[in-house]
Parts: sequence; C-alpha cells; structure tokens
Amino acid sequence: MIWHITKRELYDNLNSLRFALATLLLFVLMLINAVIHVQEHPERMQKYHDATTNSLNTLRSQTDLFSIAQEGPGNLYKKPSSLYFCEEGGDIFLPDYAYGIARVQIANLRTFWSLYYPAAFPNVFNLRPDTVKVDWGFVIGYVLSLIAILFTFDSISSERERGTLRLMLSNSVPRHTVLIGKFLGALVSISIPFTLAILMNLLVISMSRDIDLGVDVWIRLSIIFIIAILYLCLFIALGLLVSSSVQNSVASLVILLLTWCVFVVFVPSTLSSIASSFSTPMTYDEYFKRRNQNIKELTEEYVALLPETRGLPNKKIQIDSEYVIKGTEQEERLSQEQLNQQLTQIEQARSVTRISPVTLIQHLLEVFVGTGFERHQQFLENVHRYAREYREFVTDMDRADPDSLHIIGVREGMSQKQVNPESIPIFEDKLSLSRDFNAAAIDLFLLILFFVVLMSATYLRFVGIEI
Amino acid sequence: MLSTLIRRELLDNLMTFRFIVVFIIMLLLVVANTSVLIRDYDRRLASYNSAVKSNHDRLLESRTYSSGSFAVVRPPNLLSIFNAGLDKRLSNEIFVSYGFVPTLYDGQKHGSTNPLLNLFSSIDIVFIFEVVLSLMSLIFAYDALAGERERGTLRLVLTHPVSRGKILFAKYISAMLCLLIPLLMSFLLVVILLMTSSIVSLKVDDFLRIGGIVLSSIAYLSAFYFIGMLISVITRRTSTALMLAMFVWAFLVLVYPNVILVTVTPAQPSQERLASAFNQIEQIWDEFERERKDFLANDPIPGEESHFGMQGGSGLFEKWYKDKSSLLFTYIAASYINKLDDEFEPQVPHVQNYYRFVIPRKIDAAERSWLVRKQALESVYFRPAIVDRIFLRLSPVGMYDAATQAWAGTDLIGLRDFYEATRKYQRTVIDYFYDKNAFEDRKWFSPDKGSVDWNSLPQFSFQRSVVDINAKRALPDLLLLLMMNLILFFIIFLVFQRSEV
Repeated sequence: MIWHITKRELYDNLNSLRFALATLLLFVLMLINAVIHVQEHPERMQKYHDATTNSLNTLRSQTDLFSIAQEGPGNLYKKPSSLYFCEEGGDIFLPDYAYGIARVQIANLRTFWSLYYPAAFPNVFNLRPDTVKVDWGFVIGYVLSLIAILFTFDSISSERERGTLRLMLSNSVPRHTVLIGKFLGALVSISIPFTLAILMNLLVISMSRDIDLGVDVWIRLSIIFIIAILYLCLFIALGLLVSSSVQNSVASLVILLLTWCVFVVFVPSTLSSIASSFSTPMTYDEYFKRRNQNIKELTEEYVALLPETRGLPNKKIQIDSEYVIKGTEQEERLSQEQLNQQLTQIEQARSVTRISPVTLIQHLLEVFVGTGFERHQQFLENVHRYAREYREFVTDMDRADPDSLHIIGVREGMSQKQVNPESIPIFEDKLSLSRDFNAAAIDLFLLILFFVVLMSATYLRFVGIEI
Repeated sequence: MLSTLIRRELLDNLMTFRFIVVFIIMLLLVVANTSVLIRDYDRRLASYNSAVKSNHDRLLESRTYSSGSFAVVRPPNLLSIFNAGLDKRLSNEIFVSYGFVPTLYDGQKHGSTNPLLNLFSSIDIVFIFEVVLSLMSLIFAYDALAGERERGTLRLVLTHPVSRGKILFAKYISAMLCLLIPLLMSFLLVVILLMTSSIVSLKVDDFLRIGGIVLSSIAYLSAFYFIGMLISVITRRTSTALMLAMFVWAFLVLVYPNVILVTVTPAQPSQERLASAFNQIEQIWDEFERERKDFLANDPIPGEESHFGMQGGSGLFEKWYKDKSSLLFTYIAASYINKLDDEFEPQVPHVQNYYRFVIPRKIDAAERSWLVRKQALESVYFRPAIVDRIFLRLSPVGMYDAATQAWAGTDLIGLRDFYEATRKYQRTVIDYFYDKNAFEDRKWFSPDKGSVDWNSLPQFSFQRSVVDINAKRALPDLLLLLMMNLILFFIIFLVFQRSEV
C-alpha cells in the first residue's frame, strides 16, 4: 500500500511544473559548479605545488645544523582539497599557510624560529561584490531545502482542501502508511533530479584531464550524498508537519517560507555575531604590545647578566643558549595564545549556530570535503606535529655528534657537521577519514535528532487531525 | 468606485493570516539584527578610536621630521547598519607619507578584531528586506488575479461598469498599503533603537539618507509586487502562479546574484597591463635614484652614503619597497640621529643640502608614479568591479542593493571618497613640510637640538559626502527600479486588457 501511495505521489509530481523548474534549476547550478571547478582547480593545485617546492628548496639549501635550527622550516602550506567544488567553506578567509621563522632579537642574540599564524585579508584588492560561492553546499543547503518545502507544503493541506484525503483514509489504510507514502513520494521525486544533477556534475569534473578523483574521494562523495539526502528528509518532514497542521495551503507555504528564511538565511549570521561577542580575543595591538614588553624584559635581564661572563666564554655560551631558548619559547607561547583565543571565539560561535540545519550541513560538508574551519584546525595540528618533529630532528642530530657540546641555541655549542638536506623532515599536510568522522559526530547526531523530532511530530500531528 | 475597490482589497489583505505572520517575523528579525548591528558598530567605533589614538601617539613619539609616521584611520559608517556594503570589508587604515601617494590599494586593516570572524557572513537591515519583502510581495500578488479568476469573482466585479485599469490599480494600491505597514514599522523601530543607543547620534543628513533608503525599499517592494502580478495575470491557476512565483523568487534573489559573477567576468587581472605600468614606474624611480647618486658623488665629501658618515644613537633607515601586484614602488628613508657628536658638526650643512635636493625630487617622482599607477590599478582592479555591479543590476535585487549602498555611502564610490581624502591629506602634509622648511631643517634627521612639535600639523579628518551627492549617486538605480515598475505595470495592463475572464 505504501508503494501505491508513493507511486501516485511520484506520478503527480513528475508531471508538475515545480518538478520541471526544480530540475532545471539544479542542473544549471550543478553545471556551472562543475565548469568553474574544472577551470579553477588545476590553477589552485599548481599554486600549491609551486609554493611547496619553493619552500622545500629554501629548506634544503641549508646544510649546517645551527642555521637549520635557527632559521626554521619557513612557510608551511595547507594542501587544497580536491573536493573544493563541494564546499568552499570560507577558505579564502582562512590563511593557507603558517610559517616558522626567526624574528626575535635579544640584544645581539638572535633567537630560534617559532611558529606564526598570518591573518588572511583577501579583500584589499578584491573590490568585487560579495557573493556566495555556487558549490554543493549552496545547492544543497539553500536550493534543495527550498525545493523540499515547495514540494511538500501542500501535500496534505491541499488534499484536505479538496477532500481527497478523507476519501483515501476511508479505505482501510492506516494513517502512518499514508504519511510514509507521502514522505517517500516527495523524497523520491526530489532525489531523482538531484541525483541526476550530481551525476552530471561529477561526469563533467571527472572528464577533465587535469583532475584525478581517487578512491578516497569517491568514498567521501558518497558520504556527502547520504548526508544531503538526510538533510532533504529533514525539510520534507518539516513541510509535512506544517502542511498537516494548517488548514490552508497558502498559510502553510507562508509559514514554511518564513521558517526557511529565518533558519536558513538569518539564524546563522545573527547568532554567530551574537555568540562571537561573548569572548574578546587578544587584539593585534595588544599582541604587539605584549611581545615588545616580553622582548624588552628578556633583553634587560640578558644585558644585566653579560658583565658576569666577561672572560668566561663557557659561561657566556650557557647564558646565550638559555636566553635563545627562553626567547623562542616566549614568542611561540604568545602567538599560540593569540591563535587559541581566536579559535575559541570561532568555535563558540559555530557551536551556537548549530541550531540552523544549514550550518549543520555546511559543517558536515566541510569536514568530509576538507575545507573550512575544521580542516584549518586539522592543518594547524599537522603544523604543530611537524614543528615538534623538526625540533626533535635538530636535537637528535646534535646528540648523534660526539664532538658537539650539546648546548642548543649557540653556534659554538652545537654540532658543526654537515647535515644531509634529504634527511630534514618535510612538512606534509594529510587528511584522515577516521578523524573526520569524529569531527562530524555532533553535527551528524544533531541532524538526525532534528529529523527524528520533526518526523515524530509530523506523525503525532497527522494521526491526531480530524478531517 | 475606486475607493470601494481599494477598501475591499485592503480588508481582504489585512485580515489574512499571512499578513500577521509576515508582520511579526519581520519585526522580530529587524529588532534582533538591529541590536546586533548596533553593538557591532559600537565595537568598530571603539577600535577606530583606539587606532586613532595609537597612531597619534606613534606620531608624537617620532622626534625627527623624516621619521614621522602618519597612519590615518577610516571611521565606521553609521549607516552601514542599513547596508554594510564594503564598509567592513575594505581596508580602514592607510599610511600617509610624503614619499608616496596613497590609493585604495595601499590600505590595511587595523588589528583589533579576529580575522577569522570573516568566516561568518554578516547581514544588515537591507538584506532582511531584500529577502523577506520580496517574498512577501510575491505571496501577496500571486493570487491577485488568478485567484479571483478561479473563484469567478473577477467576472462578477467586471460586470459592474468599472474599467480594468482601475481594478488593477486598486489591487496594487491596497496591497502596497498592506506591505508598507511592516516596512515602515521596521524602519521606525530601527531608528528608535538607533536613537536610544547611547553612542550613536543621528544628524539631519542621516535622516534624509534613511529616507532615501525607505524610498528605495518601497520601489523594490513594488517591483516585486508587479512581478507577482504579472505571473498572476498570465497563469490560469493559482497553484501554477504560486510555483512560478516561488521559482522566480529563488532565481532572482538566491541564484542570479551568486551565479552571474562567476560566469561573466574574467577572474584574473591582466598581468601585462600591470607589468608595463610597473616598468614605467620603475623608470621614474631609476631616474630619481640616478639623480640622487649623482648628487652624492658630486658632493665634496666622498662616498655614496646619504649620512656622510654621521653616527650617534640610532641611524638611518633606507629601503626600496617593491610590490608588483599593487604596483607599489617607493624609496622609504627615515633618519633619527639622537646624539650628534661635535666632530660631525661640519657635515651637517652637507646633509641639509642633500635633503634639500633629494626630498622635492622624491615627492615629484612619487607624484608621477602615482599617475601611472592609478590608471593601471583602476583598469585592472576597479573597472572589473564596476562591470560586475552592472551585471548585478539585471536583477531588481542588485538595483536595490546598489541604491541603498549609495544612500548609505558604503558603495565603492562612497568609500573611494576616503582614499581621495587621504590623498589630499598627503598633499597637506607636504605643504606643511614646505611651510616649515622641514627638509633643510636640522630636525629632519636629528632631534639633538629639540624635537619636532607635531601639534601644529593639521589633523586628518574625513567628512562623508553631503546628502545631495548620496542622492545623485543613488538616483540612477532608483530610476532604474522605478522604470522597471512602470514597464511591468504597462505589460500587466496590456495583458489584462486582452485576457478573457
């Protein structure tokens, strides 16, 4: 019986104007998305490739351990995702590199390198108007949800208006069967154009010679597809809920559209700006003030100690090394502190905006695509791991040399042997799927929760109504 | 007869469920967002004030003329609450030096906010209207004619001796009256919230600008009502009309503005244009450098060093700054010799001579390279942005956005005023230096006999354009919107005259 109802709904929908318009809209958007990706992606990869080769060359040009330890690894680049077309995730607002260089001078001592996190200000030259990137995230988050509403707003209320619902229920069909039939009908009739549009999109992209989608990528794409369908279900359930609660289909549409506007368009930005005002991260002015203060204090301490070392070269080496390490640690700690405060602010704002389903889907897509904030945090973790590795490499190399004094921080105290440039650890930015599932867990859970709540509300409502 | 018709329509509309829902949601959205936006404005104003102060302190710290650092800061625009435009996005701090002429492309952001916050899109009052008002106009309009036709009441009305034009007009007027209530109430609420918040003070000009924004909103509302009416008049059934209206809305508001920019304009700036301009600028500075070197070579004191061997305390800072993408090419030099020993006293006239010769030439080179630079940057970065905005105007959303931005002064042209003002200020600084004979002054390079008194330097202040200019800039878009209204009305009228009931 469910199939019977589903089939009827499906036939109804396939012949309707909205089906034609929805199909057209989805196809056009997906085609544009694919064409743009095919044009832009090779450029992006080339840029990344050039940048990493460059920084690798500078890294390998050093052969002496002290300068390796002092100058640091230089720029560390974030690897662009090959699924960029699915969700751009505000990547232009995130810096695509971090760098480790030596910047601090304590009197005439130069400290070792420490990590810095640049800010991305992409818009100084870009005077073009603001737009939302046409990616899958946009198509699914905004367009697909709107289509779901337009397909379901009248599915119960109009039958009630016309009296056909009474007719149907006078047969010995349980109400939940009718409901599920209607649900599946809407789901299938929207999924058809959506799936076709996605397949066309992937076809165009995979036909391009410059883009190579691996197995891992296809797994990710299927996960994304399943999540999109789940998101679609959420809005169909919402549509059925309102449609069964309201007598008249226009009223149902007005309520649905306003709900859509509020939750999809307005809630994410309004709530994020409210939530981001709860914490105030260190400003750059404060950062520089504290940094200068720190350096000044260390310099004073160091200069005060200098007279004691006159004529005692060994002691001077000890003190120099101590202050190089102190200065480096202080610098690293401060920029880390600022970064953490900034990240916490964003994290807070992001968790509050999870009320909106469109944020959920964006978070999920970001995670599986490998763009956006979650990915940026992963990148930063990779950077920190690499920084540790690099520093360990320096100590290990020093320890391996029996002639060295093992005093890190001063040229005379460290190994004078040539280092094989090939043996310096190289930064490699990696993505792991299992970690992605952890990051996605909350969002996925919330999405399912919303769906279950809405679906049960619809069921209760539909069972309870009088016709 | 007309008044009867209007009254009937008005009552029909006002009593509906949709009207009440629209009204409540609209007010809620406006109140919530206005309070958020006002707080945001407060924050920006506070960080503006602190940036102004820290820049002033930095200036007072510099003790020689040549090391004086003037960064000027752009104040946040109060009306960015209505339409943020580029106000938050473009740079808000710019360095002014006698050695280069500042342009829009040289600014930076003063560091008082978390740059990662850009991840979240920000909305403004006009955006709420853009989305909600258009949707509501369509929902009010889609069944204006199709519904009556379906129910047969249209035939009934037309049996009376009433012209079809009058019916259309009555429907339009009554629906607009209904839609204006939430619109005007929202504006009123925003203004009340603005006036009650302590930091913000509205001037008469601001009220006129807000009036302009209201006017544009009404034109926008009516354009969408006409679009809905057109759909209603060409379709036979209300359900078809509704679907068509919704997809037209999705296309015009959601899809078109985002799709058009990626499909139409080239993304890459023309590298050749930039390279040739860079070459020209390089030549100008090469010539300057040659003259400078010649002067140093011909001076009785040997060596090519512009300090002639003077030392003490700090020293000389010299740097060539080159950036190909922004065509920035300049020679930055500042000197601050804290303690000038007596043994260097004979060199002082030479140094003074040198600066008297070099600085005017540097100013001249900067001026000439600016002329080249300005043209190249305008054609590479500015013009494409203008072309983009023309394409956006093919949708009424684009026209409305452009008109309200122009009223608020947050559009590209309005923001360019600030950079123009910084350029004028740079001229003022140079004139001040000439007045004070600063280049040949001892204080140019050494504060040993008294440091510079910066308090006599004219302060930078940025006055936004007067309301007439805002009106002039907003007028084309407003007229476009009105023209669109008229054309749509005529089409509807013609179709309705010929249609059978």
